[in-house]
Amino acid sequence: MTTLTTDHRRTAIKTPTPLLTGLDAGIYSIAGRYHRRPALLKNLLRMAEDIDAQAALWKEKTDEALKEKLQGFREIFRRHKKDHEQAPPMALAAIREASDRHLGLRPYKVQLAGALALYKGHVAEMATGEGKTLTAGLAGVLWGWMGFPCHIITVNDYLADRDANWLSPLYNFCGVSVGCVTGEMDPTTRRQGYLNDVTYTTCKEIVADFLRDRLWMDTLQHTGRRQIQALAGRVRDIERGLVMRGIHTAVVDEADSIFIDEAVTPLIISRARENEPFVQACRAAYKIAETLEPNKDYRIDKQYKDIELMPSLDDRLTELTRDMPDMFRGPGRRNELIQQALNAKEFFHRDSQYVIQKDKIVIVDEFTGRLMPQRTWRAGLHQMVEAKEKLNITPPSETMARLSFQRFYRFFHKLAGMTGTAHEAASEFWHIYGLPVMTVPLNKPCRRTVYPRQIHADQQSKWKAVVDDIVNMHKQGRPVLIGTRSVKTSEELSKKLGLQGLTCHVLNAVRHKEEAKIVSRAGLQGAITVATNMAGRGTDIKLGEGVAALGGLHVIATECHESARIDRQLFGRSARQGDPGSARSYVSMEDELIVRYVPKPIRETIIKQLQKNTKLSHWTGNKAVKWAQSKAQRIAYYRRRSVLRTDTWLEDSLSFAHGDIAE
Amino acid sequence: MEEKTFHESWYRIANQRICLRPSVRVQRQMFRGSKWYVLRDPFSNQFYRLRPRTYQFVSRLNASRTLEEVWKEDMSRDPENAPGQGDIIELLAQLYHANLLHYNLAANSVKLFERYKKKKQRIIKANLMNIMFFRIPLFDPDEFLKRLMPFIRFLLNPYGAAAWVLMLLLGLKVAIDNFAQLQVQSQGILSPSNLFLLYVGLVIIKTIHEFGHAFVVRRFDGEVHTMGVMFLIFNPLPYMDASAAWSFRNKWKRVLVGSAGMIFELFVAACAIIIWAFTGPGIIHSLAYNMVFIASVSTILFNINPLLRFDGYYILSDLLDMPNLHQQASQHLKYLVEHYAFGLKNLETPATNKREAYILTTFGILSGIYRIFVFSAILLFVADRFLLAGIIMALICAVAWVITPIVKLIQYLAASPRLYRKRVRAVTVCASTFAVIFGFLYYCPFPYNFKAPGVLKSVDYMVAVNKTSGKVIQIITPSGTQVQPGDPLLKMENPELGLKIRENQAGLDEARALHKKAMQEQQADLKPLASRIEFFNKRLKRLYYEQDQLVLRSDIQGIWISPNVKDFVGMWIPRGTPVGQLVNENNYYFDSVVAQADVSQLFSHGIRGTQVKLHGQANISIPVKEYTSIPMEQTRLPSAALGWSGGGEIAIDTTDNQGVKTAEPFYQVRATIDTDTNASLFHGRSGKIRFKLAAKPLLWQGWRKLRQLIQRRYQV
Repeated sequence: MTTLTTDHRRTAIKTPTPLLTGLDAGIYSIAGRYHRRPALLKNLLRMAEDIDAQAALWKEKTDEALKEKLQGFREIFRRHKKDHEQAPPMALAAIREASDRHLGLRPYKVQLAGALALYKGHVAEMATGEGKTLTAGLAGVLWGWMGFPCHIITVNDYLADRDANWLSPLYNFCGVSVGCVTGEMDPTTRRQGYLNDVTYTTCKEIVADFLRDRLWMDTLQHTGRRQIQALAGRVRDIERGLVMRGIHTAVVDEADSIFIDEAVTPLIISRARENEPFVQACRAAYKIAETLEPNKDYRIDKQYKDIELMPSLDDRLTELTRDMPDMFRGPGRRNELIQQALNAKEFFHRDSQYVIQKDKIVIVDEFTGRLMPQRTWRAGLHQMVEAKEKLNITPPSETMARLSFQRFYRFFHKLAGMTGTAHEAASEFWHIYGLPVMTVPLNKPCRRTVYPRQIHADQQSKWKAVVDDIVNMHKQGRPVLIGTRSVKTSEELSKKLGLQGLTCHVLNAVRHKEEAKIVSRAGLQGAITVATNMAGRGTDIKLGEGVAALGGLHVIATECHESARIDRQLFGRSARQGDPGSARSYVSMEDELIVRYVPKPIRETIIKQLQKNTKLSHWTGNKAVKWAQSKAQRIAYYRRRSVLRTDTWLEDSLSFAHGDIAE
Repeated sequence: MEEKTFHESWYRIANQRICLRPSVRVQRQMFRGSKWYVLRDPFSNQFYRLRPRTYQFVSRLNASRTLEEVWKEDMSRDPENAPGQGDIIELLAQLYHANLLHYNLAANSVKLFERYKKKKQRIIKANLMNIMFFRIPLFDPDEFLKRLMPFIRFLLNPYGAAAWVLMLLLGLKVAIDNFAQLQVQSQGILSPSNLFLLYVGLVIIKTIHEFGHAFVVRRFDGEVHTMGVMFLIFNPLPYMDASAAWSFRNKWKRVLVGSAGMIFELFVAACAIIIWAFTGPGIIHSLAYNMVFIASVSTILFNINPLLRFDGYYILSDLLDMPNLHQQASQHLKYLVEHYAFGLKNLETPATNKREAYILTTFGILSGIYRIFVFSAILLFVADRFLLAGIIMALICAVAWVITPIVKLIQYLAASPRLYRKRVRAVTVCASTFAVIFGFLYYCPFPYNFKAPGVLKSVDYMVAVNKTSGKVIQIITPSGTQVQPGDPLLKMENPELGLKIRENQAGLDEARALHKKAMQEQQADLKPLASRIEFFNKRLKRLYYEQDQLVLRSDIQGIWISPNVKDFVGMWIPRGTPVGQLVNENNYYFDSVVAQADVSQLFSHGIRGTQVKLHGQANISIPVKEYTSIPMEQTRLPSAALGWSGGGEIAIDTTDNQGVKTAEPFYQVRATIDTDTNASLFHGRSGKIRFKLAAKPLLWQGWRKLRQLIQRRYQV
């Protein structure tokens, strides 16, 4: 029997606050700074101290008494009474004791502070190995008590399953039901998973289930409409097809990856559909694009990844496209197609943006370096890349529903996040999601030495320095992890090392099957691991016997990523949990990042300086890298923001059409 | 580059069954020589214009088919020109916003309310921004107009037009006949005593004006639903919403609607001038005069002027077949700046050909300059007239017209997504433009001078006074003749004087005889008799002198001016009567009155040159030989002609009935002028003296003027 409340909650979503502009945005960003003020952290740490001070009191209690107390807290939280605002610190003290007894883990003070930050709706910046899972679990208990649907979003299915199982003794003892939803589950088990107070799942699953539920509800997304239909006796039994019970609270692990890097990549529910004329047109268009020459027929804007056709090309194109299907012969549509073909030709390269597996294009994620077999580029582009590689062209599938993470997470009433790298993007977290960032201090002081960045004039000298560094570290017996930006460079570096007589393990999108094995060995004495960004986020490299005494893991970044956060993620692989470690990054003035974002005259001046090896050269080079990264981030932010604006506009302008999320 | 053929969000509407609302009417219309379809919903009075190809798609929309089906069909019929998915999404969004769409399910009501709220806020904001043209809609005159239809039909037909032309010609004739009188009366039009009548006339004329628009709209079956009060610079005046005319297919009908106000106004003015000419002074007479004045002045200054958004603008816009001329012009100017100065690409200008581009550019620049001029005039006027409230209003206007555009410009430069690739260039261009303008105003010196009113005076000037009483018998020299010293001017006679001389002569003779006798007989009497002779001699001498003075002579070289001298003939004039003036025209000086605010410049800055210009001869500047300033504050004007009561510009003390005591003290500067000039110099003629100072930048000059204004008005 569904009550009106449960029925309402099923579709109740928060109406996202529109993006502010102009002066309002300025004032809002000042408010953001206020919400990130250091005093808040101090406050939370003091609360954590208070909780710690109560420890002895709780230790004395028997299991029964503890359980009874926890039950009492549960009542307070469920009632949403005023007193529940003072309750979290007290409740956390009790949960901490429960965790100690039933998980065998006693949360550190910083974890308590982290849990409080999450509970208050912050993005908690916590380094790898600091115990984010337990921290989220503590906050999860508090939310579970409140009775709203609470989702904890993990990076992958494995972690969702593992975390839910590992923490279930704690949850159960506290009177909170916990479950998980993973990729291979059928709808019935999914429904079971979502029914729990706290559900562990992945981003992909929750968005897909959300969309499928909405598709199923179709025009009945509005409680009012459902009730009216029910009163009219025309109710369709929608419950049968639904798996979720609504959304309210979410904690997202690796928040910056999902909220920022992946924010505009939409999740699409689609069905295949034949479209022969389009496939033909793509093939023909790419053939024409191959005959065109840059700077003569079209101009390339490297910084913005844009192609501009020269006006002189118009007549030639009319001639060349004579045999295209009708639809693509008008000048507007024709240019659109040619431009896309040129995009595929100029900006998409094998083993960087994609790999080919079993005669299919598989996209490599720019941020994680992982393969994304399900993903396709937008209609046209994907087909062009297939044409480029002379593969069979798959017809574009027909979208039935789509939702970007950015849009989805703005629907939550209560949102929180955890990641190792957040403060660089604090402003975006605040402006788009209303999330203030809070950097939670480490439990043990960090023993990582980050050497100054090495700036080189050209690729050759950079790679020589990288190899020298590896050889040097290897001689000391320290394990080395080398990060590269593409599959191609990782393979090339492996060859270079081979010439030096060194064996290394390569971890990239193509060789992803051995991932677990390679990672488990990467911390052993003398290990050399070359990896793409795959070895960044979430990879936990444990040091081998005696390695700590040698100085721990040495991380080398061979190229700077467009986002400084991704670089920091890689560095974070060393010196975890109080271990020693070191990191160094190498940049050459010929790197893609620099070429794209640093204006040519400045770049040339820096190269000249570097060749003379002046004192200033290192400083200016460093500044140039920082500038390029901040510019790249700014452009990426503007792009995401404009996607959000377009989304908002569409939502507003097409609100007559019920093909969209509503309530 | 946007991809428009396939759109990522197409799925949202692909399965919807959408069509136009059944109430929507479609019209074909020609604009600028190309075909358009105008969609109109009579319920909401909303319009939307479509290109023929787009309309072809819209006409296929049908509630029984999904959008996807319609699109595919459209695509298969005319694949090359069919709108893409992106175009359709944009189109439907706009139709939805214009409330022209019908859809099978109720729309998201939250969004509808949001839109309504936003719209209301926008109207309030627009009203606040346009506080000088604030509008309050009051009632719906449509029913009333419908009832007036027979009357309207009676007025608006070829006979009516003929009557109008006749009446106008008649009015024109009367105006020409009484031109001098018209001119004389115009001087008092802004005097405080006339202001009320002026306002009454304004309201009458403007009400007729607005009804003129409404009548013509109604005559062509348009609907007029809003009538209300507009506060034009805080003066309540009627207004009417004639936007229904936009749907008239024939552009001449639209032009007629636009000019209807003026047509009616002029007709009334023609009637009023006849009334004015045939009535004697009184309220009707004055009111008629005021109405004539308003109808002619407001027509020329405002209504017919296309640079402000009054009738002339809409008429021009219709004649050119370019709707939204103003908006398009500013869009076009923005395009020019963005394209050429900021280097943005892929922009579109509203101009479809060179002629239009030319028109839009010219119109945009001219109206921009004119608006700046009008707005600053309004700002100064309001601040000047309404004191404290005026300052507040002026501040609000300054916010709306000065600060807001600046803030918008900054926002645009800082955050506009259009600029995101060229922001540095755009900011550089704007900053350097401002720097150049500022530098020009701040550093580039411009001629700087100040003026002071004054009067021309002759150095040798005297009043001719008769030195003896007498009856005028002859005018020897006519008035206006150049005379030398000693030249006789007029002749008098005094018979009494002759008798006196004879009497005294006799007395003298007697005394002489007695004197002779005494010399022989009585020596002791000699002395008194000698003094008696002396007495008579003296007396006679004076009497002879007086007799001599019966002919009045000029004392100096100059012109003998006595316009009414003939009236004196036969009249007895007592001694000391001024009968005329003698003015030497070779030697003049200019007595000027320098305000306190300017006097410091007179002493502290080097004067680079001075010249005098006389009223009525402003084209001739008279060089000044030298000037001396009298270093002492004065309060008595050298001539009453300089004060308010004498038609001058200097404020005078109202308690002084002579009209020469000034309200504020001033300094007197006396300049000797060079008489070797083409200007005709007359004693007592008023004019202005201009002191040329060292050249100063315009910003400095403006700042000084502003400070003086504030100081004078508000005593701060």
